[in-house]
Amino acid sequence: MALVALNAVTKTFTKGEETITPLDHVDLDIQAGDFVSLMGPSGTGKSTLLNLVSGIDQPDAGTIAVDGVEVTSLSRSQLADWRAANLGYIFQTHNLIPVLTTYENVELPTLLLRLSASERRQRVELALEAVGLTDRASHYPRQLSGGQEQRVGIARAIVAHPKVVVADEPTGSLDKKTSDQIQILLQRLNRELDITLLMVTHDTEVAGIATRRLVLEDGKIVDGLANPV
Amino acid sequence: MFRYVLKTLWRHRTRTLLTVTGAAVAMFVFCFVGSVQQGLDRLTTGEDADRSLIVFQENRFCPASSRLPVDYANRIMEIEGVAEVVPIQVWTNNCRASLDIVVFNGADPNQIQTNRPITLVDGTWSDFEARRDAALVGRNVAQRRGIKIGDQFSIGEISVKVVGIFQSDVPSEENLIYTSLEFLQFTRGLDATGLVTKHEVLLAGDADPDRVASEIDEALRAGPVATTTRRKGAFQASTLSDLVDLIGFAHWLGYACVGLVLALVATTTVMSVQDRIKEYAVLQTIGVRPLRAMRLVLTESTLLCLLGGLIGTGLALLALGLGGFAIGAEGVTIAFRPSVGLLVSGAIVSLIVGIVSGIAPAIQAATVPIVRELNQP
Ligand SMILES: Nc1ncnc2c1ncn2[C@@H]1O[C@H](COP(=O)(O)OP(=O)(O)OP(=O)(O)O)[C@@H](O)[C@H]1O
Ligand SMILES: [Mg+2]
Repeated sequence: MALVALNAVTKTFTKGEETITPLDHVDLDIQAGDFVSLMGPSGTGKSTLLNLVSGIDQPDAGTIAVDGVEVTSLSRSQLADWRAANLGYIFQTHNLIPVLTTYENVELPTLLLRLSASERRQRVELALEAVGLTDRASHYPRQLSGGQEQRVGIARAIVAHPKVVVADEPTGSLDKKTSDQIQILLQRLNRELDITLLMVTHDTEVAGIATRRLVLEDGKIVDGLANPV
Repeated sequence: MFRYVLKTLWRHRTRTLLTVTGAAVAMFVFCFVGSVQQGLDRLTTGEDADRSLIVFQENRFCPASSRLPVDYANRIMEIEGVAEVVPIQVWTNNCRASLDIVVFNGADPNQIQTNRPITLVDGTWSDFEARRDAALVGRNVAQRRGIKIGDQFSIGEISVKVVGIFQSDVPSEENLIYTSLEFLQFTRGLDATGLVTKHEVLLAGDADPDRVASEIDEALRAGPVATTTRRKGAFQASTLSDLVDLIGFAHWLGYACVGLVLALVATTTVMSVQDRIKEYAVLQTIGVRPLRAMRLVLTESTLLCLLGGLIGTGLALLALGLGGFAIGAEGVTIAFRPSVGLLVSGAIVSLIVGIVSGIAPAIQAATVPIVRELNQP
């Protein structure tokens, strides 16, 4: 069974008179251990798809199941609990909590789970080690570079050992060199820690590191390396 | 997560400080007004106010104008239900409403010792009986005027030697200065030989105060001066009637202060949440439940309010304890004393206001449209 299964998912937006349908009966299966990249022209609905998988947005029709749990039927509160345990979200703009240190930012998701203090510390340390920021644990976000901030964001997304990690243009606001580092990091997370990743990107090179490449166009998903964007 | 709230408050410390200060000032006033109210309540209710009667000259209010024969005491003693009569001469430096009123009560030293609800905290009863011009000073007056034992205290025509400081469970007692009856009667200008201002009547066990009062007035109608007898509480309330109105009005001031704290803390919390509304969207994306987000906001507003409230309440109690404030008119005074009740009500009001002021922003944080906020730059 697929880890993530989208079944005839439809999402429409109405802006005044105009109705747009970025996702039109989308079907998609993602297997555990996949590293999926999702490309497509701007405004086609890539972020919308990630938000639906994360349960922070609701489809107008269709169902989404993650590891057998139908997330489209959960309440807002249940979704929060579900995300805490099963989903990591990597933002384009990091979205770290500015008043918290690197350590505290990464620790945040573990506070939502039933863990002992030592287990919690161990997980945070492992996550920081995975992104190579152990020596920046007590720094505040404003004291970090963009690339370091994004690594904190990645550590925060994986610390709770989620089943799926989604990333919305994780390298979108980074320079080439930093972007390369993040690509290598994501690839390692997928290969070494066996983390299932669903990543939206505009960059063909970044998409290249994925094991499976998808393109979203005209409300539909096309498999394979279709028309590079 | 508590650390997140603390760090958020600390990050905006200027705003936090201003809000806490505002809440402290308002709660200071709230407690002050509350202590005036409490002082008035204790003046008109309680054992002392209900189980004793005041016999005053009919239609007179200022102690200087009430002049009753001392020997009325014997006639009053004969009435059934009367346990004891204390003839008291009153002298006050100011008959009108004043914040620094000094009231002397002259009475028989033995009767003072046995019948007044006072305990010496300094000095001895024998010193009081030994000197003609000896005086016992209430703790409140002593604090306010900086009077110590051994001082010669002079005001107007009166000059006394302070031989004792006393405290009392009846706060208004602590605003009095006791001297012997003879001493006060012979004060120049009073010309009160054989006369007293009032008789204070202590009732026996289960005597009905209103019946005894009317029997006293009836019995003394034949005498040279007609009297009006009332329960002590009613007497004090009617003597202070102008002030009572004013204090009733001040009560609203207290409520206004609570409203002020509410508005202040609510504004700060709304601002704080709106500034960081995207943070709440991020927190919920990570897996923070809406209810938990709500609790974070409520914790923030409650902390602000409790901190300010406790500082304000604490300072008010300190000021009340050290200042010995009182307001009085026509020889009756209302003491402003600190009390556990004030502390408790200050803390409870702060707590409730803290929670209430956080409700609207808490709902805002809990129901934030996640996707829309995440899309904000
Ligand atoms: N709340 C909304 N109300 C109306 N329209 C919306 C809303 N959210 C998204 N849209 C529209 O839906 C479409 C898909 O948006 P989405 O953000 O998913 O695109 P995207 O593929 O992520 O684009 P980009 O590559 O620029 O990030 C866009 O045309 C957008 O304008
Ligand atoms: Mg997008």
